[in-house]
Amino acid sequence: MNAKSDAATERIALLEALRNDQKTWNVLAPRYGVTNPNPPWKTSLIAMCDCLAASGALPVLERRQAEDELSNSIYSNVPAPERQLLALVHIMLKRGLVTESELVSRISAVRARLESA
Amino acid sequence: MSNAHSHGDGSEHPAAPMVEEITDFEVLEIAVRELAIEHGLFTADDHRRFTEWAESIGPAAGSRLVAKAWTDPAFKARVLEDAVAACKEIGIDWAEPTGFGTPSDYMNLRVLEDTPTLHHVIVCTLCSCYPRPLLGMSPEWYRTTNYRRRLVRWPRQVLAEFGLILPPEVEVRVEDSNQKCRFMVLPMRPAGTENWTEEQLAEIVTRDCMIGVALPRPGRTADIHPVQKARRPVKRTSHPPETAHERKK
Amino acid sequence: MARSRSPKNPQRPAGKARFKVGDRVRVKDLPNLFYSRTQMYVRGVVGTIAACTYQDVIPEDEAFNRDGQLEQYYIVRFRQKDLWPEYPFDNDTVQTESPERWLEPA
Repeated sequence: MNAKSDAATERIALLEALRNDQKTWNVLAPRYGVTNPNPPWKTSLIAMCDCLAASGALPVLERRQAEDELSNSIYSNVPAPERQLLALVHIMLKRGLVTESELVSRISAVRARLESA
Repeated sequence: MSNAHSHGDGSEHPAAPMVEEITDFEVLEIAVRELAIEHGLFTADDHRRFTEWAESIGPAAGSRLVAKAWTDPAFKARVLEDAVAACKEIGIDWAEPTGFGTPSDYMNLRVLEDTPTLHHVIVCTLCSCYPRPLLGMSPEWYRTTNYRRRLVRWPRQVLAEFGLILPPEVEVRVEDSNQKCRFMVLPMRPAGTENWTEEQLAEIVTRDCMIGVALPRPGRTADIHPVQKARRPVKRTSHPPETAHERKK
Repeated sequence: MARSRSPKNPQRPAGKARFKVGDRVRVKDLPNLFYSRTQMYVRGVVGTIAACTYQDVIPEDEAFNRDGQLEQYYIVRFRQKDLWPEYPFDNDTVQTESPERWLEPA
């Protein structure tokens, strides 16, 4: 093993299904007349990266190297904040920090919760 | 959802527009965070503290530091001697939010003073290390491999793409934040700002001036970049173009 | 929360700094063990100590969370011309940080 990250650049079905270039912030914000350059979840994403690094679960340098690889390959066409999110989840799945099956069911649960509110 | 909300005092004003749909990206961020918390990778309270901290930071703190250093020589001396301690004088504590900083903002800050013969510019060639407590989140271009690889190799070309062309006799010093020091540039106070207040001065000290890709000047109060597609990094064996005018249209 | 700084992991301070400001040093070309923060572009190149900064664990250890021995860090200044012979401006420099074990007297 060397500095090359273990986040192999093979696609993950779940994340491929989620990426939708009509729903990224750079498309949605002007559609709704929103001027904030970043989606509301961006800060939470940054905090998540910091928390994972602080606890040792995913050190900064390893995350950034894997993120760079993914940003230059699978997710190269995705705009910045969405790309960062997809890359982080990709790395977490590859490392087994979360599993694809539990993430699939959690996504449904979260959506149901948000839509019922 | 109504486009206006009441303040209870009878006044109403239109609410800022919102994106009125729940995207898969938003759902994904929440879902993965909940699972990470349930797996014990971090706690909800850790996340709340880091979010609160991330929302509190921005380049205004760095601007204040520079403006104060320009007007108060004793403060400037303290900044150059022990920048982390000097930051406390302007209300920035590098120990936040954990008591010992964040995993990427160690408590080692050095402020790099420009002179008529020395210009600093910062980069992190490894990832995107950045003095977040003073400057907030790094701009997207700072994170690109384009900037990170080329700044070390062809700094004057990259600076020219930002519109900054320096005479050959000025030493361009690239500072790579590849370990645990974080850096910020203390630019020279421009002519035409005599008798300005600290508040006035702070307005022209934009983020780019503290990264070192721009110089402060009266009337320049915002960083505006023409949209540019990242080019492939220059290979080690290739030669630089004589001048860099790709970006200057 | 940051394990490498937790009081549960006592750290042993480094001895006296081996280099001082102005010393000429060469960056060793060690094999990349796991996640090194010493970039390829300075390996084998001679530079000058610009500052003795702080003591900390070295990142290769940190990646394993093996806390303990602290090491002196330095900022090293390189002439661009020493890094890339065809570099066109004589005065320009690059500074990087390095832990002591990556440096040898030049």
